[in-house]
Amino acid sequence: MRSEGIEVDVPQGWDGEIYRRSSGITALSGPGDQSRPVMHMANFPLPSERGDFGSGAVELMRSDNLLVVLFEYGPESAGSPLFSARGVPTVSAGDFHPNAMQRPLPGQSGAQYFFSVGGRAFCLYVALGSHLFRHELVPKVNEILGVLRIDG
Amino acid sequence: MMAAILVIEGLAILLLGLLVVGLLRSNAEITRSLHQLGISDHNGSVTGAPRPLPRLTSGSAEDIMGQSLQGSAVQVGVTGHEGQTLLAFLSTGCSACIGLWEGLQDNGRPITVGGARLVVVTKGAEAESPSRLTQLAPPGVTLVQSTEAWDSYGVPVSPYFVLVDGSNGSIVGEGSAISWEQVRSLLGQALADVSMIRTDRMPDGELRADAELRKAGIGPGHPSLYPDRPPISE
Repeated sequence: MRSEGIEVDVPQGWDGEIYRRSSGITALSGPGDQSRPVMHMANFPLPSERGDFGSGAVELMRSDNLLVVLFEYGPESAGSPLFSARGVPTVSAGDFHPNAMQRPLPGQSGAQYFFSVGGRAFCLYVALGSHLFRHELVPKVNEILGVLRIDG
Repeated sequence: MMAAILVIEGLAILLLGLLVVGLLRSNAEITRSLHQLGISDHNGSVTGAPRPLPRLTSGSAEDIMGQSLQGSAVQVGVTGHEGQTLLAFLSTGCSACIGLWEGLQDNGRPITVGGARLVVVTKGAEAESPSRLTQLAPPGVTLVQSTEAWDSYGVPVSPYFVLVDGSNGSIVGEGSAISWEQVRSLLGQALADVSMIRTDRMPDGELRADAELRKAGIGPGHPSLYPDRPPISE
């Protein structure tokens, strides 16, 4: 699957979409910010109507499900300290916390990572269907991230 | 003079003959298509009861890759998980599809078909009318534009439906229908069969709840299963 300068191998049976969000004004966006790409990948059926950070989808997750969100910010964010990490991160089970969900849901957990690639600023947000299963689910996330390519 | 008339008559007869041959060939094509759809009886007359088409030769399903209505890159996974997916191959130029498009929503919500996930698959943007598609596709319905999916599933006609069992990636039913009631009827048996086979078990037969508890380190006799029992002191 490739679009918007983002390419990823979607595993068999997974849902995925790379789209451009309709409005670009967020807390971290600068004035005049344009709409930016968003990527969703999940090992469960994604509803057609869902939020950029997976609202409407995470509520459907079972304990063995996970959702990977890649959310791009404006290029002016790439130089800020928050996005100073370079390259697509590798996630670890210790990064996940139930309160890191956009909206905490019983049993689930999430983690956020901010980074830059080639002058592009991203937030990687991962939601797990079960905090208890994080050690089993995290390797699946890293498999995806290992084949994620971003054009600079 | 007489010779000229004979020549003209001969040419006219020849042309009429070609016309008749063309009509017969066209009729044969239509009849063959109807037979493939299973909507003709043994006498060749059309009936209103569609029957399932023969399964695809491979019998295996593939994930759907294409574009969303908004033009974004999309993949819909139909294999590798436990649920069933009903692929509805519809088209903007198909008059028989109109009722199906209109019936995709019930009271403002996407319809459900026997518990299967419903995914509408149209041909790619090069073969569909984008403006018409925007009018026809209701919000909340998963829609993928993919000519490749039409080819890989060997869709012979629209509308056409394929039911996939995600647990083993197999096609468990397929055929054509012109209303959602007919779809439910057509696929009802397949859905019933799949739902009877599908239980809340892992592939090795272990109950899913037991497997999840075991993964969490909770087995038979674990103290958390007996909150009212005092802890056993060593």
